[in-house]
Amino acid sequence: MADFSTSVKEKGDISIINLKGYLDAHTAPTLENNFTQLIGENKFKIIVNFEDLAYISSAGLGVFMAYIENIRDNQGDIKLTNMSNKVFNIFDLLGFPLLYEIYKNEDEAIRKFSGS
Amino acid sequence: MQLFFIAATILLILKIFYGNPDTYYLKLFFDLIIAFAVYFLILALIRFENSRPSSPLSLVLNVGILLAIMFFIILFSDYLLTNVFENINQQINNPSLVYNVISVLYLLVVVSLVSFFFVILRHLFYRNQAKNTRIYFNTMLVFFILASLSKNFFDSEHLSFLITTFFVISILLMIFNSIRISWIAFLTKKEKLYLLLLSFFITSLFIVNISNSSGENVYSQIIMGFSPSLKQFNKVVMIYGSIYFMFLFFTTLFHLPTAEAYDRKAQEVTSLQYFSKLITEVLDFNDLAETVTDITQKLSDSKASWIIWRNGSRHNSVAAKNIGYVESDKISNKILEKISIEDLTSTKTLNLREKVVGSDPDNSYSVVSVSPIKTKGITHGILVAAKASGQMFTLDDLNAIETFSDYASVAIENSRLLEESIEKERLEKELDVAREIQKKILPLKAPAVPNLQIASVFIPAFEVGGDYYDFFKINDSKLGFVIADVSGKGISAAFIMAEIKGIFETLSKTIETPKEILIKANEILWHTLDSKTFVSAAYGYFNLNEKKLTFARAGHCPLYLFRNDQSKIMKPSGLGLGLSERDYFIDNLEEYSIDLENNDTIVLYTDGVTEAKNDLLEDFGDKQFLKVLHNNINLNAEELSNKIIHEISVFSSGHEQYDDITLVIFKWQQ
Repeated sequence: MADFSTSVKEKGDISIINLKGYLDAHTAPTLENNFTQLIGENKFKIIVNFEDLAYISSAGLGVFMAYIENIRDNQGDIKLTNMSNKVFNIFDLLGFPLLYEIYKNEDEAIRKFSGS
Repeated sequence: MQLFFIAATILLILKIFYGNPDTYYLKLFFDLIIAFAVYFLILALIRFENSRPSSPLSLVLNVGILLAIMFFIILFSDYLLTNVFENINQQINNPSLVYNVISVLYLLVVVSLVSFFFVILRHLFYRNQAKNTRIYFNTMLVFFILASLSKNFFDSEHLSFLITTFFVISILLMIFNSIRISWIAFLTKKEKLYLLLLSFFITSLFIVNISNSSGENVYSQIIMGFSPSLKQFNKVVMIYGSIYFMFLFFTTLFHLPTAEAYDRKAQEVTSLQYFSKLITEVLDFNDLAETVTDITQKLSDSKASWIIWRNGSRHNSVAAKNIGYVESDKISNKILEKISIEDLTSTKTLNLREKVVGSDPDNSYSVVSVSPIKTKGITHGILVAAKASGQMFTLDDLNAIETFSDYASVAIENSRLLEESIEKERLEKELDVAREIQKKILPLKAPAVPNLQIASVFIPAFEVGGDYYDFFKINDSKLGFVIADVSGKGISAAFIMAEIKGIFETLSKTIETPKEILIKANEILWHTLDSKTFVSAAYGYFNLNEKKLTFARAGHCPLYLFRNDQSKIMKPSGLGLGLSERDYFIDNLEEYSIDLENNDTIVLYTDGVTEAKNDLLEDFGDKQFLKVLHNNINLNAEELSNKIIHEISVFSSGHEQYDDITLVIFKWQQ
């Protein structure tokens, strides 16, 4: 449907994935690759920044579900930040705020990682 | 052919009756008959030669064999025939008859041989597809005939200059006609060597035969006994033969140095022809890759060839020819250290800094050529050719590879497009099945229930979106309903829908409260769905007697309640089904109950409604949805749903429907 891209940067032992564009069933594999790679490198502290994400479909949400168990088993977490209202509402409908920590910005999420 | 035999028979009879011709007219008559015989035989032979496909080489070989035969006939006829004639003279009482018969047969053999030489020479000559071939040859022929006949008729002191003139002109024409022998160019180097040898022998044989036949021997006696013209014609043809083959010898000799280059060009042309045929026939990528590397290796005379194909962020060796994958990968890595696939736009040679030695030390490589395989300006792979250590790529090699990689790019693009369209077709078939499943799962029509208007609309997306809704008549006073959306699309979503239908149909019969039904459903789906798949759902039921609606929501879009121009968004908390285990799901699940009033309108929908997009990729959105509902809330359930669908289709007319759209409207009428 439309474009989607990701970029990964490292801050200490925390990996930050920036999402951009439209995340749906067709573009989800890109993000899946990011997670697979990070897990392969034993990087389990992951922040996903939604700032530039325009849209997320249910299949896009599924990506997070696919990896969270493995990551938490390894004392890691996926924390979500910088969501637009629209994206947050989609997460909220499904009850994702009950499953994931969602923060306003990266710093907040990084602090949470450091604190724990 | 029959005409030839008739002429031959007449000749035989004449010979028997008249013996050697001595008068002028008899000579003329003999000449005429022989000329006709030769003419008819030549015609027959031409027809025969044209009817069989023959390479110039085999024709040349034929000439050689016939020449050898002629050589032996002339050589042995002296000894053999003299003996025979002596024996005949002693034993038979009519020796001249037998003598005549034998000499006519002898003559016919010579006539056949001469005609054959002539026809083959003519055939070889006509291989030159130059302008005016026919005129040149016929002119020569006319002078042949003049030179031949003049021997017979101008054989006197003051006319003999004519014989010489015609003879010289004939020879000049022969030389002229022998100069351009173009068919040699099309022979391979091996054939040229063979031809060189053959033409040398043939020229020698021609010369030997000429000298043999001009001396005073039985051969010339017999021929002269019939027609001096024939002898002359024979001589002329033999001279033509020797000149032609001498030229052939030298032309071939001069062609030899370029033979290899020519062979190469010929191979190139054949390969490209073969390949362009292949482009349209071979559509499987792997087959194509094999052919590409095979031809590349031959074309550039390389030791090995393979393709480095980009696969996402990785690359791998494909269709390695004459090299193992381990070695080719080793070299590929060295190549990719120097250049990246994307940046390669034209054919280059690369020197490997150190030799790559294979498992067999004979196979070592030090220089490779790399060509891009690109479609639509993007390089997807590299066509590699590797020379054995110590060898270099010539400019010709590189040009050939460059041309060829362009062809290969087109072919690979074709095969890729086809694969895509097959994949598309497969997907479409799959989606047909998915839509069929969905159609069977969804209710045909809403049940009739007193005091409750029910309207439902379902518009499937091209890719089945996984929407599901259903009504369950639990008993006369209870009507259950469910609306759900499976994450993901296509056939997998359709199968999960089928599973959900089973779950809710069963649970709605045995369990009463929406909360418990959703808890149970979550428990089942938590175990059956894979981790990234989940289902949003809302389940509820109307208690018609108690005028009550009870429902719970598991991650689904909220329910809207419209009452007296007021709207209420009802969004009890609840996680999507299959997202969390039992306890966590229960802890976060609420159940709502409302007492129904007259004209209460309850709206259920899936995100296909609010996320319907226009051509600017803007959503239809909650606000607009609510506004349309508000403005039309006085319509009955059916009209209201039609109105909404109409608004959505107007809004999103510029954009393809991406997700299923489901809308269910209940209107309570007391």
